[in-house]
Amino acid sequence: MTDRIIFVCTLLLAGVYFWATAQIPSLELGDPLGPKAFPRMLGVGLLIAAAMLLAEILRDRKTAKAADTDAMKWERHHWVVVAVAAWTALYIALFEPLGYMLATLIFLGGLTTYFNRGRHLMNGLTCVLFVVISYVAFTKLLGVNLARGIIPF
Amino acid sequence: METLTHILNGFVVATQPINLWYTFIGVFMGTIIGVLPGIGPSAGIALLIPITYGMNPTSALIMMAGIYYGAKYGGSTTAILIRTPGEAASVMTSIDGYEMAKKGRAGAALAVSAIGSFIAGTIGVIGLTLFAVPLTSMALKFGPAEYFTLMLFAMTAVSTLTGKSPAKGVIATILGLMIATIGIDLQSGQARYTMGIPEFQDGVGFVVVVVGLFAMAEVFRGLEGIYRGTSAEAMKITGKLWLTRDEWRRSIGPIWRGGIIGFIVGVLPGAGGTIASIMSYTTGKRLSKHPEEFGRGAIEGVAGPEAANNSDTAGALVPLLTLGIPGGGATAVMLGAFIMYGVQPGPLLFQTRPDLVWGLINSMYIGNVMLVILNLPLIGLFVRLLYIPQGILYPLIVAISAIGAYAINGSVVDLWLILMFGIIGYVFDKIDIPIAPLVLSLVLGGMMEQSFRQAMTISGGDLKIFYGSAITVILLVMSLISVLLPFIIPKLRALGSSGDPS
Repeated sequence: MTDRIIFVCTLLLAGVYFWATAQIPSLELGDPLGPKAFPRMLGVGLLIAAAMLLAEILRDRKTAKAADTDAMKWERHHWVVVAVAAWTALYIALFEPLGYMLATLIFLGGLTTYFNRGRHLMNGLTCVLFVVISYVAFTKLLGVNLARGIIPF
Repeated sequence: METLTHILNGFVVATQPINLWYTFIGVFMGTIIGVLPGIGPSAGIALLIPITYGMNPTSALIMMAGIYYGAKYGGSTTAILIRTPGEAASVMTSIDGYEMAKKGRAGAALAVSAIGSFIAGTIGVIGLTLFAVPLTSMALKFGPAEYFTLMLFAMTAVSTLTGKSPAKGVIATILGLMIATIGIDLQSGQARYTMGIPEFQDGVGFVVVVVGLFAMAEVFRGLEGIYRGTSAEAMKITGKLWLTRDEWRRSIGPIWRGGIIGFIVGVLPGAGGTIASIMSYTTGKRLSKHPEEFGRGAIEGVAGPEAANNSDTAGALVPLLTLGIPGGGATAVMLGAFIMYGVQPGPLLFQTRPDLVWGLINSMYIGNVMLVILNLPLIGLFVRLLYIPQGILYPLIVAISAIGAYAINGSVVDLWLILMFGIIGYVFDKIDIPIAPLVLSLVLGGMMEQSFRQAMTISGGDLKIFYGSAITVILLVMSLISVLLPFIIPKLRALGSSGDPS
């Protein structure tokens, strides 16, 4: 089942890529191939890969060893990944408005409270120390720009 | 004679205090990265690139190489004490290493992997020193067509040898090449696939892709593991941190063999440390007088694979330095680092910057000595890292990745990209699409397209240039073989009646 979905996605992607390649305006000046030729080869390559996958699907069906069909089955622990991804998205959205220090503190505080449960003092100390030390080390010592946000220093 | 001068001069470069310091920082961080789950050598090196912009390239590359081979030392510690390879290539060590730890011989297992890694790592660097020069003189004859076919070979080998399914490996390779086409086309100045996002005009940076695919994806897997309660506890180090005379006698053969196997496998594209250690393990088992002990805590089962996966790193640097073409994920990231510093590895580099090349190679002799010290008397220090609660560790990895990604351009777009590639990496892992081929082709994509178009310009649009010389024909045939190999091997196994189950 999983492999069939990959097969369909691969075909879709190849289609989108061919379409996007056709959208590139080209002048063909002094360059016999232009900016489209290599991408077209890649599109064909992806179709060949899809054909290889189809061959593998058919071969596995023949030998009846396709027992890995549950890879795509939705299980409860997948929600954790969705939640972590959403929490990370919120972190990124707040990264510039709030600034690195505040956004990171909220992000780390939330995750450690859930995943390292009950050890509030340890979590709190680690988060604050990490945020302050990393901010000072990167912005002041290494000259790396990190979003300042609403904190004035 | 001139080469000898360059090599000796390389030692002068490598022993400059500043470079000794960066060798130390590199191998120290490499050991930490190897011990900790989450950030592997690829993501570790990628994260350092934006931070080390202003550094002198020789020191920066010495440090990054240190992370690369240092991680292999650290990876075995985690494999032995919690049966989880801290680094993919340590997977064989986790079998007998953990069994030894359960029997109270953790000390001996750690000692033999450190010593084996040292001996084999040094064998690997000697191999690198010996093979580098002859290969560069061959590579000087390479034109764009030769380079194109060489990259084709590297990619086909990696795509069909890394994953369970060759088709999925090819899909990953082409995805990487497609991502590489995003941005302004260098020859025509035309923007391609930028979707109207100005940040995409410079292309999608490989740093964010690597950090997303390796580090972020590992965070998702790790936190999922904590939720499911499947994360493991670390064992205490028991037993003396040294080998008995008998253990030593049993280990030395596998270490030598592993060192040589690892180097050869490392030079070839595609195979990499994991395959090197598996080959070393099965060879050791076949040659052993008591194969039944393998899997139950045989010291040979730790010594052989550990040796192989360390000399593999030196082997993998051979094609990267001499041809400028990496043969796997981690060396692809190294190539990305070279290019970011404005240094193009390849045969010409041996002529234009012998100080850099030989300084880098010779720093590895010193780095291996440092590593054996860090990983024997000081191993207790690194083991403590394993007691850091994973519920704290994984969130911190996200924050570190965010710093690294934001540092490149000061743009939030890069943060969204690491999240996106993190999700892609997590999903790809679940559905068995390998990510190493994607990273390799992403880094090589631009060069591959350029050499293809240059070759076509030279030949006036005639494809004959790709099968016109002996080198291109050999490389094309090798590419074809690497595509067909996964289909042929099962047939060959079926022919041999008593196939090895492993």
